[in-house]
Amino acid sequence: MKNNDRPLSPHLQIYKPQITSILSISHRFTGIILYLSTFLISLWLFSTAFNNNLKIILDNFFYSNLGKIFLFFITFSFTYHFLNGLRHLIWDFGYGFNIKNVYLTGFLIIILTLSINVYIWFFKWSIF
Amino acid sequence: MVQLHLPKNSKVERGKTHNKSGGKKFNIYRFDPEKNENPKIDTFYIEKNKSIQMVLDALIAIKDDIDASLTFRKSCREGICGSCSMNINGVNTLACTKSLDDIPGDVNIYPLPHMPVIKDLVPDLKNAYKQYNSISPWLKSKSKPKINSERIQSQKDRSKLDGLIECIMCFCCSTSCPSYWWNGDKNKKDYLGPATLLSAYRWIADTRDDETNERLKKLNDSMSLYRCHTIMNCTSACPKGLNPAKAIAEIKKKVAFNKN
Repeated sequence: MKNNDRPLSPHLQIYKPQITSILSISHRFTGIILYLSTFLISLWLFSTAFNNNLKIILDNFFYSNLGKIFLFFITFSFTYHFLNGLRHLIWDFGYGFNIKNVYLTGFLIIILTLSINVYIWFFKWSIF
Repeated sequence: MVQLHLPKNSKVERGKTHNKSGGKKFNIYRFDPEKNENPKIDTFYIEKNKSIQMVLDALIAIKDDIDASLTFRKSCREGICGSCSMNINGVNTLACTKSLDDIPGDVNIYPLPHMPVIKDLVPDLKNAYKQYNSISPWLKSKSKPKINSERIQSQKDRSKLDGLIECIMCFCCSTSCPSYWWNGDKNKKDYLGPATLLSAYRWIADTRDDETNERLKKLNDSMSLYRCHTIMNCTSACPKGLNPAKAIAEIKKKVAFNKN
């Protein structure tokens, strides 16, 4: 029998989602969203300095419902990526590897991210 | 490139039910290399009783009474040999230390994830062992021990190895790591995976070893060590309660501060 005939055992299909891996992949996704959002933000900064027409178009977009969804994704990604980034920094110093602490800080940043975003969107700016 | 789907020959199909219902339902991954068929999920029913307490007991009972062709690795049945590591209800663990009482519903058993399957629940660990071999898992010392004596180590130095030497090389951690799934089997250079890196740190942390710098240098490339993104699935999977993620972080720290 040839070695490369061997089937590959199931992986993503069967592995139970772990809080550890879910938070990790979310960190990467929010990082991608933040990367893409820098184009929008720098375009807005550019328009503020040089192009009033473009600024009006962008401002209108940001006040539209679709624009608000964009901005929500950006604030959400920023808070999550920032808090989880702090968690990663602490790990890089060699602390917090106890699995209990990993779960604890994981849940903590989920709660913090949600509450910060609820605060920003429903209390601070009262946009809705 | 990350391959999220299974290759064509690996797609899992529905198999057959081997006995009448009664007791706990076991859905088990089957693959027979002698047939030209895709892997299948077969169903067995086993009643839990005094001598069937652990998942491994149930597998042995299936092999004894229902289907003798069911293939799996086992040896010590008490969590010290690391042979019966498999994926039980979505999490890698040792079948011999996983109690049936801890599983409320059906029991789904797969081989260790993202590994070539030899037969049923037996994965091919050749590549994992090759990676383990690449870290030279033995003492490299320039001095010789005193005649008729061991290499003496203080209790404090010895305690640095606690939580490292307990590893039984079951590869539950490595095969739970998504990064190891995507980077563990590359053509040129592999990500070594948590199990091998924990062992690498066991020799780096050993005060009797004289080749710490060489060991650190060997790990210092983009693949071997740094494909660890601190996902931490390894630590949550380890059936021995060890912390491979912490060991990897310590290696990263040592590499960063190593001046040679």
